[in-house]
Amino acid sequence: MLTRRLIPSMLLKQGRLVKGVRFRDHRDAGYPPTTARAHSHQGADELILLDIDASKTGQEPDFKTVREVASECSMPVTFGGGVRSIEDARACMDAGIDKICLTTTALDDPALITRLAQIFGSQAVVLGVDVADGSCLYDHRSDSTIADPRPIDWIREGVDRGAGEIRLMAVNREGSRSGMELDLLVEVLDAVSVPVILEGGAGTLEHLEEALHAGADGVAVGTMLVFSDNNLVKVKRHLAGSDCDMRL
Amino acid sequence: MKTGIIDYGAGNLCSVFNAVERVGGEPTVVTTPEGILDCDRLILPGVGAAAEAVARLAERGMVDALEEAVRTNGRPMLGICLGMQLLAETLHEFGVNRGLAWMAGEVVDLRTLIEPGFRVPHMGWNQVMVTDVAEDLFYGIRGKREFYFAHSYTLRTTVEPSIAAMTDHGRALVAAVQFDTVLGTQFHPEKSQVNGEKLLENFLDWTP
Repeated sequence: MLTRRLIPSMLLKQGRLVKGVRFRDHRDAGYPPTTARAHSHQGADELILLDIDASKTGQEPDFKTVREVASECSMPVTFGGGVRSIEDARACMDAGIDKICLTTTALDDPALITRLAQIFGSQAVVLGVDVADGSCLYDHRSDSTIADPRPIDWIREGVDRGAGEIRLMAVNREGSRSGMELDLLVEVLDAVSVPVILEGGAGTLEHLEEALHAGADGVAVGTMLVFSDNNLVKVKRHLAGSDCDMRL
Repeated sequence: MKTGIIDYGAGNLCSVFNAVERVGGEPTVVTTPEGILDCDRLILPGVGAAAEAVARLAERGMVDALEEAVRTNGRPMLGICLGMQLLAETLHEFGVNRGLAWMAGEVVDLRTLIEPGFRVPHMGWNQVMVTDVAEDLFYGIRGKREFYFAHSYTLRTTVEPSIAAMTDHGRALVAAVQFDTVLGTQFHPEKSQVNGEKLLENFLDWTP
């Protein structure tokens, strides 16, 4: 049986990892390769690495750090942030990345999803969807919500265009430890047949458990691993003991 | 012992290279037919579209070189993911295309095959059941034999003796094949942590 995935999510800013609350107030969270190595050794099912500078400022991704992180990982790595072209995606793949996550760059250029899927396959293209208040898309570059399209319609379109996975991020829950966005998760699971990874708001082991019981194929966690005494081994054991199919 | 990783422009060679190195092999990236013939063993990786992959191998003169090295000279070869699917006769992906046809079988869209409710791509860690023929290659992998899968197409074959492992996702799916000097895995050993490393180590020691 296919197991559910527990995925550490790392935010990259100027060569360092950071962690914030609701996409703001970033605090230092460590040296990327060292953290990646620890996650790999503790049996992370995958890793997500997001370059928040590249996305915001329009500069190219930090390929040096990407390469260093990928070389520490004996599990798949998804990279997002500033991937605007086939050339950017290819450079990521050459640096050891397995999947590309397109968020704002897909909103700017939806055809990019299809171009990447045709070359690298749908399984390598993740559509990142930042959602505010569970109801509308959010663009972190302008710190504003987007009235049209609705998240669910955008997700359907992204899958039609070739995305092979959805990363659903509840922006106003990020770093809040207030619980995950379950209503929208269920709506997305009904609307598309590709795997869905949920992120944002996990503060307790029960929050993760709820998301997996609601049908998420995986949960991505940041704050919970960075600023608490939880670690992957402990989290996975708890989830496995709560009827979630985990790989131990 | 030179292990050639075949570069035909089909994606991430880096993880395969690193993984072979981690288990003590001597990986080298090969880009030419001569390079293929010069290796002791070969790894055919691959992500992306099947038809394009076959065309790329052919235009680089690599199809003939692979047949000579593996089918005639008996060099061991590992095909990973798309690299396994290419071994089949028929590929149903964006039309109907011919594969390398080293084994009877066809590659079909998972959505046409599995029960509704199961998600496609088949993505993540799944357990495999190893058949008797392949126990040598999975030797030392204890407990649950879980490996990382990421695919939307699947290989169907009627040649049962060549099936090395099966997995389950909405129905029984081929997880690995083994025949003559060829091992093919639908999953990614280079991304499957300790289990994957052990399998790669066994492949490097394999004398079929």
